[in-house]
Amino acid sequence: MAVTAGSSPTGAAPVRSWRAWLSQYSWLGMGFAFSLSLFYLVMFVIPFGTAIWLSFNNWDYIQKPVFVNTRNFDKLLGDPGFWNALWTTVRFSAVEIFVALSLALLLALALSHLRPVYQYTLLAIYNLPVIMPGVVSVLLWKWLYRTNGGAFNAILESVGLPAQPFSRSPDQALWCITLMVVWIFLGNSSIVLLAAINEVPDSLLEAAQLDGASAWKRFTAVTLPLIQPAMAYQVVTSIIGTMQMFEPFQLMPGPGHSTRTLSLYTYQLGFEVLNLGYGAAVSIAMFVILLSATLFELQRRRKSWDY
Amino acid sequence: MTATTTDLSRLSTPYWQRTRWQTWLLIAVLIGGGVLMLYPFAWLVLSAFKLPADIIRIPPTLWPEEWSLDAFQVVLSHKIGGGSLARSYLNSIFVTITTVIAVLITSTLGGYCFARLRFPLREPLFYFVLSTTMVPFLTLLIPLYVVMDRLELLNTLWVLIVPSIFSSFGIFLCRQFVYGIPLELYDAAKIDGAGDFTIYTRIIVGMMKPVISVLAIFSFRATFNDYLWPLVTITDAGNYTLPLALRGIGNSFGWFDYSKVMASSLLTLIPPLIVFFIFQRNLVKGIALTGIKG
Repeated sequence: MAVTAGSSPTGAAPVRSWRAWLSQYSWLGMGFAFSLSLFYLVMFVIPFGTAIWLSFNNWDYIQKPVFVNTRNFDKLLGDPGFWNALWTTVRFSAVEIFVALSLALLLALALSHLRPVYQYTLLAIYNLPVIMPGVVSVLLWKWLYRTNGGAFNAILESVGLPAQPFSRSPDQALWCITLMVVWIFLGNSSIVLLAAINEVPDSLLEAAQLDGASAWKRFTAVTLPLIQPAMAYQVVTSIIGTMQMFEPFQLMPGPGHSTRTLSLYTYQLGFEVLNLGYGAAVSIAMFVILLSATLFELQRRRKSWDY
Repeated sequence: MTATTTDLSRLSTPYWQRTRWQTWLLIAVLIGGGVLMLYPFAWLVLSAFKLPADIIRIPPTLWPEEWSLDAFQVVLSHKIGGGSLARSYLNSIFVTITTVIAVLITSTLGGYCFARLRFPLREPLFYFVLSTTMVPFLTLLIPLYVVMDRLELLNTLWVLIVPSIFSSFGIFLCRQFVYGIPLELYDAAKIDGAGDFTIYTRIIVGMMKPVISVLAIFSFRATFNDYLWPLVTITDAGNYTLPLALRGIGNSFGWFDYSKVMASSLLTLIPPLIVFFIFQRNLVKGIALTGIKG
């Protein structure tokens, strides 16, 4: 590092050495760094610090916040609402990721056997729901899930199956949302996987084929290890995306608290019951859980992709 | 698949060239899946043209008995509080375009600065920016609302733009990309006497086109579709963006009038569809190129 040049004590006037120190840097770079720091200070550091601080206080937005030490976190540990929301979030997230990723992998594998022109055209169709605002998807699916006269029940009845309550049933509501979310993100996940599969060298697959490896063996021994980083990326972004998902749970809720996730719980505490301190505590818990889940997943995957 | 026997004649052909019937079978299955994906979408489009009597039919029929533009007319003149769908349209477009342009400028400039320019604390600052992506938005939601309240931005369109001016993901993506631009290009321009900013506008931006289109789509999608942040910060219906207006329409029309909800959804989908069809190919290429794979 040439940074030490500025501090050379060769008897030069301090002003000169200060200038020398400064002259090695780019004005554009420093200007950018300054505005960036200012932005992240106001939009990230202060809010994040406030969230931590708030979690040790009680505040209803009107009166002065009251310091309550760790009482919010004590309350959280014994709050069935929190544990219920966490359990709902985890079930939704795990099932959504497993189903969506399996389907996306199948889709990407199938597409990889086609010429690029067909790949793009078919992907465009599968990718269509991704571009729709979440609110549009929810309003649409809510209507399709309707108990009386909904399209899905009409299909079930036309093949002789009994009509289902779907979103009206506490047992089915969460899985109705999960199916919709799989529908939304399927195409998007397969883009990343397809990009990775297309990069697997043909020569490796041909060599494996020459050695008599079956299609399944070629997939598990050649393709799958090589697309591991893309899978990891997809899993991690899906964890982050599903844990924070909000629209479906607010706009298509099941009965009672059957579809109340951590994100909806945080929102309700902060903006409906105005218990901002406790809301902040729940959101901090959410941050810790998300961070651990992400790091755990990265660590687990990393082991298998050191080749 | 049954074709596991070694067939030497096929080995030099590309991986995607299977036997003809296998390819057709694959395409047939994929199109079948595509139809399933489009099925809910078909309900959205066709129901928007239905009359009230048609839309509540039991069992429901996908195809409209009589095509009608009534729903569009009703929705376009419908008042949502102090606003309207048309007003929300303008709000959404203004917010989205401003945000996308801001994100593109700060990200390309940021990528260039972090990859090529020297300034104090460069690396710590970059890793700090990267680490902010680990904090869920829900954690920042309540305090960010308070900050916006203090800045007196609540209930204005700026509250939707200002927090998104810098994008950690965008800066990261662009930095990776700028590292891939040969140093010789940069040095040659430097010798010719070009300043940092000239190099950025004349050389770097031009070379970043692929990454710019990916970033533009991501940023468009995130801003145009955003629901939670506007829901919290915008209470004046005149400043509603489209997702909020749609929620309002969803609340004010019942199952009986659902063609109105579908008609406004269809109108909402026009800008994303345009963007999507322009950029779809770039998106696939761009993702392969951004090095997400490793």
